[in-house]
Amino acid sequence: MRNTPKSNNMPVGSVQCENTSLNLLKANDFVAKAIRERIPEICVINICSSPGSGKTTLMQETGKRLGKELNIAVLVGDPETERDAIRMREVGINALQIVTGGMCHIEAQMILQALDHIDLEGVDLLFIENVGNLVCPAAFDLGEDYRVTVLASTEGDDKPKKYPRMFLTSELMLISKSDLLPYVPFSVEAATKDAREVNPNLEVLSISNTNGEGLEEWCSWLKEKVAEKKSPVSTEKV
Amino acid sequence: MHELSIVKDIFRTLEEAYPATHNNIVGIEIQAGLLSNIQPILIQNAFEAYVEEYPVRRGIGLEVSKLPIIAFCSNCNKDFEVKFHRFICECGKPSDKIVQGEELKISKVTFKK
Repeated sequence: MRNTPKSNNMPVGSVQCENTSLNLLKANDFVAKAIRERIPEICVINICSSPGSGKTTLMQETGKRLGKELNIAVLVGDPETERDAIRMREVGINALQIVTGGMCHIEAQMILQALDHIDLEGVDLLFIENVGNLVCPAAFDLGEDYRVTVLASTEGDDKPKKYPRMFLTSELMLISKSDLLPYVPFSVEAATKDAREVNPNLEVLSISNTNGEGLEEWCSWLKEKVAEKKSPVSTEKV
Repeated sequence: MHELSIVKDIFRTLEEAYPATHNNIVGIEIQAGLLSNIQPILIQNAFEAYVEEYPVRRGIGLEVSKLPIIAFCSNCNKDFEVKFHRFICECGKPSDKIVQGEELKISKVTFKK
């Protein structure tokens, strides 16, 4: 270290110390609260995962299955390109791309700004497809009601212990590409056990965008959460 | 990647909290919970890089310490330390009540008189 802490070099008697507790994460939390207040009727789901786990394909499949029942919109974040939003619009989903300009996660401020540019009239369900990354997105509340982490069977079942905060802060873990489970050394049981050591309340569901396994349960889960959000007796997530 | 923005947040927060005296600050202590994904050495480096750009901030010392993860066991009615991200009390009951470990805060500020 070129520049070691200097507090040790200060002459005694010339300083005044103040013990304090100033939260450094408050800027993002403040904006997240503003998002919740701005769209209180819309169920917001933050979808996180590594790159390539099938988030965008899951959005497409969800749109195909639920598009007639629910009004769905998607904000999709990527470091560069508008490809994912284009893929979703191709199947009729109301999608807006957030280009983070190289950043590895979405911050609440980007969502708040995006809300000005997407038509949310009548929308029941808003997905935020986060940047593919199991580390940084875990630290940023985006004003969501639920966080869903997608873990592909091809990634390996050791991820919940390697990236604990992501799984700790999620309500649901989707094990995607379940059609490949017979061909890859991935134990759903081991991944579930590890994930629940980090987060005992985590729900787990195996899905496949290819053969449709689990997608009906996934859609039921979503419909239930949308209904809870709309009903006046809904219990707010703290 | 976001260490530099954390350093900017440190100064923005201090400017807000001490509008009249923030230019007298000579020491800052940060506490980062083990769940905050913060590496002290990276914050130190980002801090030095920032201070180099802003001479008015030169001479400020920064110390970053990590706080262990503490969870609450409703079965034993007591807090326990979470090791290796295993949120399970020694009694065997899993816990989802985090008491400490997610925070990132300024815990102490030193001013020159």
